[in-house]
Amino acid sequence: MSYFKQTIDGDIGTLEFDTPDSSVNILSSAALTELEQQLDEIAGRSDIKVLLITSAKKSIFIAGADIKEIESITDPQEASEKCNRGKQVFDKLEKLPQITVAVINGACLGGGYELSLACTYRVAGFAGCVKIGLPEVRLGILPGFGGCVRLPKLIGIGNALSVILPGKVLDANRALTLGMVDRLFYDPILVEQAKTFGRAVLSKKEKVHRRRKTLITKLLEGNPVGRSILFSQARKSVMKSTAGHYPAPLVALDTIKSLVGKSQAEALRLESEGFGKLGASEISKNLIHVFYLDEQYKKKKWNDAEPTLTHVKKAGVVGAGVMGGGIAQLLAKNNVICRIKDLNNQALALALKTARDVYKYLLKTRRMKKGQVEAQMSLISPTTTYDGFKNADVVIEAVVERMDIKKQVFKELDEVVQPSACLFTNTSSLSVTEMAQCTSRQDRVCGFHFFNPVHRMPLLEIIATEKTSEQTIATAVAFARQLGKMVIVVKDKEGFIVNRILLPYMNEAAYLFQEGVDTKHLDDIVKRFGMPMGPMELADEVGIDVGYHVAHILEGAYGNRMRIAEILKTVYEAGMLGKKSGEGFYIHAGKHKTVSSNVQNMRGNTVFTLDDDVTLKRLVYIMINEASRCLEEGVVESASTIDVGMIYGTGFPPFRGGLLRYADSVGVKHIVSDLKNFQDRFDQHRFEPSQLLLSMAETNDTFYPS
Amino acid sequence: MSDRIAIVDGIRTPFCKAGTDLKGFSAQKLGSLVIRELLDRSSIDGNLVDEVIMGCVANPVEAANVARVAALMGGLPERSRAYTVSRNCASGFESATSAYEKITSGFDEVVIAGGTESMTNIPLIYNEHMTRLFAGLMRSKTALQKLKTILSFRPHFLKPIVGVVCGLSDPVCGLNMGQTAENIAKQCGITREQQDEFALTSHNKALAHRDKLADEIMAVPVEPKYESVCDTDNGPRQGQSLEALAKLKPYFDRKSGTVTVGNACPITDGASALLMMKESKAEELGLPPLGFVKSYSYEGLSPTVMGLGPVYAISTVLKKSGMELDQMSFVEINEAFAAQVLGCVQLIESDHFAKKELGRDKAIGRLELDRLNVNGGAIALGHPVGVTGNRLILTALKELHRRGDQHALVSLCIGGGQGGAIILERAS
Repeated sequence: MSYFKQTIDGDIGTLEFDTPDSSVNILSSAALTELEQQLDEIAGRSDIKVLLITSAKKSIFIAGADIKEIESITDPQEASEKCNRGKQVFDKLEKLPQITVAVINGACLGGGYELSLACTYRVAGFAGCVKIGLPEVRLGILPGFGGCVRLPKLIGIGNALSVILPGKVLDANRALTLGMVDRLFYDPILVEQAKTFGRAVLSKKEKVHRRRKTLITKLLEGNPVGRSILFSQARKSVMKSTAGHYPAPLVALDTIKSLVGKSQAEALRLESEGFGKLGASEISKNLIHVFYLDEQYKKKKWNDAEPTLTHVKKAGVVGAGVMGGGIAQLLAKNNVICRIKDLNNQALALALKTARDVYKYLLKTRRMKKGQVEAQMSLISPTTTYDGFKNADVVIEAVVERMDIKKQVFKELDEVVQPSACLFTNTSSLSVTEMAQCTSRQDRVCGFHFFNPVHRMPLLEIIATEKTSEQTIATAVAFARQLGKMVIVVKDKEGFIVNRILLPYMNEAAYLFQEGVDTKHLDDIVKRFGMPMGPMELADEVGIDVGYHVAHILEGAYGNRMRIAEILKTVYEAGMLGKKSGEGFYIHAGKHKTVSSNVQNMRGNTVFTLDDDVTLKRLVYIMINEASRCLEEGVVESASTIDVGMIYGTGFPPFRGGLLRYADSVGVKHIVSDLKNFQDRFDQHRFEPSQLLLSMAETNDTFYPS
Repeated sequence: MSDRIAIVDGIRTPFCKAGTDLKGFSAQKLGSLVIRELLDRSSIDGNLVDEVIMGCVANPVEAANVARVAALMGGLPERSRAYTVSRNCASGFESATSAYEKITSGFDEVVIAGGTESMTNIPLIYNEHMTRLFAGLMRSKTALQKLKTILSFRPHFLKPIVGVVCGLSDPVCGLNMGQTAENIAKQCGITREQQDEFALTSHNKALAHRDKLADEIMAVPVEPKYESVCDTDNGPRQGQSLEALAKLKPYFDRKSGTVTVGNACPITDGASALLMMKESKAEELGLPPLGFVKSYSYEGLSPTVMGLGPVYAISTVLKKSGMELDQMSFVEINEAFAAQVLGCVQLIESDHFAKKELGRDKAIGRLELDRLNVNGGAIALGHPVGVTGNRLILTALKELHRRGDQHALVSLCIGGGQGGAIILERAS
């Protein structure tokens, strides 16, 4: 196998990375070995004065180290050794007698950028495909090929932390501003310009001036006191964004801190040590698992059909509530013309306000200019009639969750919208099949379930009825991806999957609340597990009326095991609807919230005796149990789809690898025995293990092949 | 019959007095609203629209070629084309007549012709002293030079040039529009009472025909707070009276004038758009036209009496089309000022003027007041300068349909000394 091709042009040698039979370049062990040989050879070449490292792949320089190799690491020693191997090679690169230039034509991530760091200079193109950064932390590891050592030296400790700790990926311009690259050149003539640059540097006609340190950075980074402030600030910010669930940024932080002032060799050794702590950890394995899921589901083909249209230009939206407004904003943001209908202009004005509020944030953070916001907002045109729906490419229904109204809307849409267009419903739990039956195009109707807030929640649940055609699904999937959403396709059964799994958990939280648990304590237990929000906070956020309504539908469909906790009804009937009414399980005042004693008093006098472990198990296992039923009934085709749904739809902690991956790690057998125990202690119906779980427990089976 | 130029549909925003409901809307935003709404109401594919032509007198500084900005904001494809036209107060006519010419010549097939104006947002401008100071600052290299330039500052440098006032003045004759109206009142002997009475009639008609006008108006949620929805013109004044009008002081000639803010049109924000194409194209697309542009003309005259422009343009357009004034179901003479409209009516009926100025042997015809501006005019509804012409066409075509009549004539006076007139024909 030959990964590298060497050419020479005058004084300038070029080492072109071109992984055979692949569209990407990855620093696998084999590629590293060959690189080392090449470098050994080049070190002795006196005819080469400047060495360019380039890529033959379109829009990819080097995508990083081989994740599969990292995934297979089982102990810290092995992890450190893997690191050392890369370091050895990059060390040779750094010590070459020649001037070396990394010519970055596209993705330059992780190990790829660490290779660039070992070069004398880094130049890049301007194109959007140029992405530079060290995202290792996102996979639960740290930059282990010298990135933690060389980047702080290049751009300063503070800047390096701001790149490494969040695992940031930057575009060319930002990378230039930070000093991560030295020059930007025009993409079509990138290599030629890099050669010209190489010659100019060689003849000393051109000098690269790295950013001078500002007074502030000198004060912060130049002495131990300043540095300790810097590191403690960085730690605070990591804790704030990760709640301490993710060890990688913390270990990276400690590593970078520990290697200040050390010799290069010692520093590199410390870095490998840090990597060793993380490389074999379960969290890293889980994050890699989620990374693969992400890659897979972004592109997953759900069937063999081709979409009827690949790019939606105009969409109709019916219903200008919170969801309608959010959907309108998302459409406009993606340059899709949006005609939005409601019964009266006041509702439409509110929807426009909802959309505008999302843009406010983008304006404030200067991600968009005023004129751009104006232009996108102008794509949303409100109406009280069906004018303009006739030629919509697709229509999304987002009216109130009542079957009679939805049916009426579908009947009307079927009459006005061009026959070829698909009709989607944003229902969260009602039967899509029943709505479709009101139309003469049942094959072109499916569920298109956004999560609230629409612009922030990445998941979109597409619901196929028995009659939905494969083409319609393909169209819906393409449209969802056009809007930047992660898609899962599921069957039409009450609650689909995300709400069907989440609602029993919220309901169980309400039972626990009834039994006397402190509101905030309950939320804290769940957050410690890693959920972004506790169930009580979530109930308030979603709206207790909305939650109650969905719970009602699910109780109707699934009976006793989803019987609504009394307290939800009481709170709902008292008109405490959560954040929107100012009081639910919490009292909301601006951004602050305090536990509502009114609601706590509604449950009578009880003393809560359960320990945190049992409390958490009741909440999580009830979800696992329901998820297994979704699988058993064929509502969803695989465990990974459920995990994708729960991670992107509810924020289920990625470091746990997903709900069912977590179940695997606990062991189905243990879960079943706990569920049986809970059946006896708390409720026969709610905790009754599914047939699937029972049989899995018997055969010691797992959801994912082990 | 030859292939007529059809107006398929049209829409406008409410007209709102400057500084009121539409103050948060830039001209480009107003333009985008009507373009988007027109596309949606006619359900026409944006790819079919070759060109957007928009009238605008005070093109916003941040949106050079406001027509193009509005077109893109309105969701038209990037491949479509757009340009802005200005024939001062007749810019909304000019866009439609330019479209007529483009379509007739075969250059374009489908055109959106409109007008947009945010008179609220016409900026104040630094005067020449201040401008020079800024330029000097930019040229100064050393700190000393800079300091010197800064020290040349005097307080009067801060006196701004008011864009609106400037725009409503004619530099050639040195008069503002109100003063030209005073000239006509003097020349034709039109009293304050006649003007006030005319103004009152305009308000009363506009109020009486609100529901008719609603037919051409789109509802606009009021940005940026969206707390209300604006769906009617806010100019027509409930309870306007001769007494109230009589109390107003003459605005342009304090001592002996008769033109007040009550018998002149208010400065106004708004936008309007028409969808135009050949009759055959409309048929091909299955779009029933509202009506057709039969003929039009523009004529020049002295800027000092620009308000009489309609007389000349009406004379010409009638000649061109071989029609008589009494064949018109109704006539619109845009109400820039009551004095100027009444002056026009007087001269339209004057044999003497016809002989002397129009090359006719007798008067153009009789123009009864009940055929004039039948749904109220700009004194009540307002006059967003780049838009009004467009609205006149739209209102007239809808009115022809309501009446079931065949022809109407719409006309405008134009600051700088011109008049414009269009004869419209209803589609049967």
